[in-house]
Amino acid sequence: MKQKTLDYLESHQSETPSQWREEANWRRENKAWLRHSQRIAVKTLSFMKRENLTQNAMAKRMNCTQQYVSKILRGTENLTLETLSKLEAAMGTQLIVD
Amino acid sequence: MMADYGLSDMTGTMTIQIVFNQWNNPEWLWDFFTKNFSDLESFFKITDVDQAIFDTMEDGGELECLILDISPDANLDLLFRPLENSRAAEMTLGKEKARLQNRMGHASWLRLYAIKLETGYYIITGGAIKLTRTMQEREHTLRELLKMEQVRNVLIEQGVVDIDGFEDYTNELTL
Repeated sequence: MKQKTLDYLESHQSETPSQWREEANWRRENKAWLRHSQRIAVKTLSFMKRENLTQNAMAKRMNCTQQYVSKILRGTENLTLETLSKLEAAMGTQLIVD
Repeated sequence: MMADYGLSDMTGTMTIQIVFNQWNNPEWLWDFFTKNFSDLESFFKITDVDQAIFDTMEDGGELECLILDISPDANLDLLFRPLENSRAAEMTLGKEKARLQNRMGHASWLRLYAIKLETGYYIITGGAIKLTRTMQEREHTLRELLKMEQVRNVLIEQGVVDIDGFEDYTNELTL
């Protein structure tokens, strides 16, 4: 029974190999800073929704591009201290606690 | 090398990849929890969408690591359980679910769904954030239920698992 099942699965496998394992491994290897990036993304998103700000409006406040705001909101960006400071200034809140 | 078996979409992206990407995407999660806020509040007593997103990302990471660490010799049957809580016996191409056990705070609402081909072999059909008691109560979980049923039907129609053979096999196990 096992061989029949495996033959069926192999004959129906996708031509493009799955990227899931690579992505999952990357998430695991970068977990420590990704966690911070995701939390900052959620806080930024939450602030933008509360203030009814578009990505363009947020970009203006931060003096950066809309594309960069979009990257921040994905929660996968390894943010610099400069970006964190810009975010703090734009939101009027502290992201890095002393 | 362990093979990953699961459904793919039209672009060839596997369902498991789509699900874990959603569970790591703040914007997707924000939309989801905003739309399903009343379920979050009434079933889990959580009123903070930010907290719900953090918990999802945290649990998603743990569940992903659990699956990632499964070696070819590991027992997948410890991760997947019958979808129907009342089902104790083996079922041909049974519908199964995986979830984090013993989570601190509240129960985990993340689910991966699969069809069990045989011991140690599963086809992952999808995943969902389940905030209600039953899957039938909400469209997004009902869709996962129907997807499992469709996959099961296709596998039976295609004769992937010989029903008689499967029953002989499970009878041997219970003897």
